[in-house]
Amino acid sequence: MTEIIEILIQILFILFIITFPITLLKTNTKSIISAFSLIDKLSINLIFLINILFFTSILNINSKYVLYLYVILIIFLYFYNFRKFNFKSIKIDYYFLILLSFVILISIDIAHELYFAWDTQSHWFLKTLNFFQNQKFENLKNFPVSDYPHLGTYIWSFFWKFPLNSFEYLGRIAYAFIYVLSIFSITECLRVHIYEKIIFAILLIFLTYNYEIFSGLQDILIFSLILIKTKFVYYFFEKKFISNRLQLIIILLGIANILCWVKNEGIFYAFFLLFCIFITNNLVLKNKIALITGPLIIISLRIFIFNFYDTELNPSYFEFEKTLNFEFLLILEKINIITFYLIIYLSQNPIYLLTIPILIYITFKYPLKNITKFVIYFLILNFSFIYLAYLFKSTETEISIRHNMLRVIFQTSGFYFLAIIILINNYAHLFKIRLLSKYKILKY
Amino acid sequence: MAKKFKKNFGVLIIGFLILSFIYNHNIFRKLYNIFVINYESRLTKKQGYCSRESVGFLRMLKKKYKFNFNPLIVNYENSVPSSGWSIYDNHNKTNNKHKILLNYPKNLSLHFKPLNKIFYSENTVKYSNGISNIIFDLKDNHIRIDSKIKIYRKTFDKKEIIIYEDNFHKLVKNNQIIPIEFKTKKINSIFKSTFIELSDLSEDQAGKINSIIVNLNHEFNLKDFTIIEKFNNCYYIND
Repeated sequence: MTEIIEILIQILFILFIITFPITLLKTNTKSIISAFSLIDKLSINLIFLINILFFTSILNINSKYVLYLYVILIIFLYFYNFRKFNFKSIKIDYYFLILLSFVILISIDIAHELYFAWDTQSHWFLKTLNFFQNQKFENLKNFPVSDYPHLGTYIWSFFWKFPLNSFEYLGRIAYAFIYVLSIFSITECLRVHIYEKIIFAILLIFLTYNYEIFSGLQDILIFSLILIKTKFVYYFFEKKFISNRLQLIIILLGIANILCWVKNEGIFYAFFLLFCIFITNNLVLKNKIALITGPLIIISLRIFIFNFYDTELNPSYFEFEKTLNFEFLLILEKINIITFYLIIYLSQNPIYLLTIPILIYITFKYPLKNITKFVIYFLILNFSFIYLAYLFKSTETEISIRHNMLRVIFQTSGFYFLAIIILINNYAHLFKIRLLSKYKILKY
Repeated sequence: MAKKFKKNFGVLIIGFLILSFIYNHNIFRKLYNIFVINYESRLTKKQGYCSRESVGFLRMLKKKYKFNFNPLIVNYENSVPSSGWSIYDNHNKTNNKHKILLNYPKNLSLHFKPLNKIFYSENTVKYSNGISNIIFDLKDNHIRIDSKIKIYRKTFDKKEIIIYEDNFHKLVKNNQIIPIEFKTKKINSIFKSTFIELSDLSEDQAGKINSIIVNLNHEFNLKDFTIIEKFNNCYYIND
C-alpha cells in the first residue's frame, strides 16, 4: 500500500513542479502562451525545468536549492492567483485525466518489473547514483563512458531524491510522465474530436509501450523529446503562429539543448530538425539568425563544458582513420550489413510500418506541402545518420547493430507520426471520412 | 440523439482500449503483487538471488557486513554485465581485496564443435587466465595428430587474433586429458566465438573428432582466498 501511495505522491509532485512558470503566469490574449493548450504549457514548463536542472548539474549546484526555489515560487504564485480563480468555471479535462491514468498504469508496470537493461547496468545507473549520492559532475570521469551525456540520469536522480527519497523507480516515473505527455501532446495536433484524439493517443501508446523502454535506457527520453519538439515544429507551419515564430524557435532550442545532453545522437536529431525548419520555411532575418546562432551556442557550450571538465571522447569508440582509409570492400560489406539489419528492424517497428507508406502516399498522391517536405528531409537525414554512425563505429558493426539499432530506430520513430497528422488534417476530407466528429477540417 | 450516441461510442472505445492495455500488461496482477510483495523480494525475483545479476546476494551482503568500501564484484554470468551497480556507493573507496564472485562455475571450459576442418566454440568465457588442458571427444578409440594447433578469434575485417599456437604431435586417446599450461587472457571474450584449427589434419581425420573441450584456469581460484560467505555458487571472499 505504501508503495502505491508513494507512486501517486510522485506523480502529483511531478505535476506540481511542472505547473511553473507559464501555467501560473497571467498572460494577455495577444501572447503566444494564450494560444497554447494545457499540455503545451506543461511541456514548456518541463523544458524549462530540465534546462534549469542541466545548469545546476554542470555548475555543481545542489538540486535541493532548485526544488526549494521552485516550491516557494509555485506556492507564492498559487496564493497570488488564488483570488482570480473562478472555481465555478472549472471543467474536467478528460484529455488530461486519461493522460494521468496512463502515467499511473505505466508507473505500476515500472514498479513491478524493476529490472535494468544491459546499458543501464553497465553505465546509466552509475551516472544516476553519482548525482543521487550528491557527487559532482567531474566525478563522472570515474565511471565507464564518461563522454556519454548525463542529463537523463540527472532527471532520474532528481525525481528519485525528491520528494520522497525512497525507491529508485520513483525517478523513472518522471520518464513515464514525459513519455505520456509527449504522446498526448502530438495527438493534439490532429484536427478531430477530442475522443478521437484520445483514441489516437492510446493507440500510439499501444504501438510503442513496453517495459524495456523504461528499464533505465535513455532512448525513451530522446523519443519523447523529439515528439514534443515535433509538436512545436508543427506549430511552425500553422498560420496563427507565424508572428510568434521567434518564441517557437526559443522553445525548440530549449529542447535541442536537452537532446544534446541526453544522448550523443540527440545532437544530430536536434540539429536535423532545426535545419529542416530552416530549409522548408521562408523565415524573417531575426528568425534565421536565431536558428543559426542557437545551435552554435549549444554546441559551443558542450565543447566548452567537455574542455572545462577535461572530458575526453572515447578514442576507441569511433575509427575515423580506418573508415576514411576507404577500404572499398570493407565499406561495401558494412553497408550491406547495415541495410540488411535496417530492413529487419524497420519491419519490427510498427510506427514505421504504418507511417512510411502513408508518407510515400501523401508525397506522390498530392502536391507537396512544406510540412511534407520537412518530414521527407528529416527522413533522409535520419537514415543517412544511421548509415554513417555504423560505418564509423569501431566495435564490430554487426555486433553493434544487433545490440542497439532497434533502439536507434525507435528514438526517432515518433516523429513520423507527423505523416498521419498531415494525412488526417489535410486529406482525410477527400476520402469523405467522418470518424466520430462532424468537425470541419481546416486547411492551412 | 446521434451526437449523444457518437459521444457514448467514443467513450466506449476509450474504455475498451484502456481495459485492453490493463489486460495486455497484466496491470491488476502487478498492482496486487506490489501490495503483497515488498520491494526487496520483487527486486530479487527479477534480478536473481544467486543467479543472473545476483542482486539479492549482493544486497544481503551489504546489509549484513555494512560495507564501508566497494568490493570487487565478478559475475561469471555472460548474459549480464558486472553487478557492481547494485551496491555501489560513491562515498566509499574501492577495495579489491574484498571480492564477490557470482555464479562461479566449478570448471571453466570452452566447447568446440566441428565446422568443416575447423572447430568453433559454442560458448564464451570471461575471467580466465589461461589454458589448462585439452580433451578430444573421438569417434574412434584414438587418433594420430601431427599438425599445428591454432586457437584464435576473428575480427570484423577477417584478421585473426591468435590466442595460442603450437606444434601438436601426439597419439590422442578418446577423452584423454592433454595438459597445455598456457597463460593468456586473450581467451576471454563474451562477444565472439573462438576457433581451433588443426591445419595439417586430413578431412578423414577431422571427421573422427566429435568435439574438443578446452579447459581453462580460473583467474580467481577459490583455493587462494578465504571464503567469508557462501550461497550456492556465489562467494564473498577475501585475500
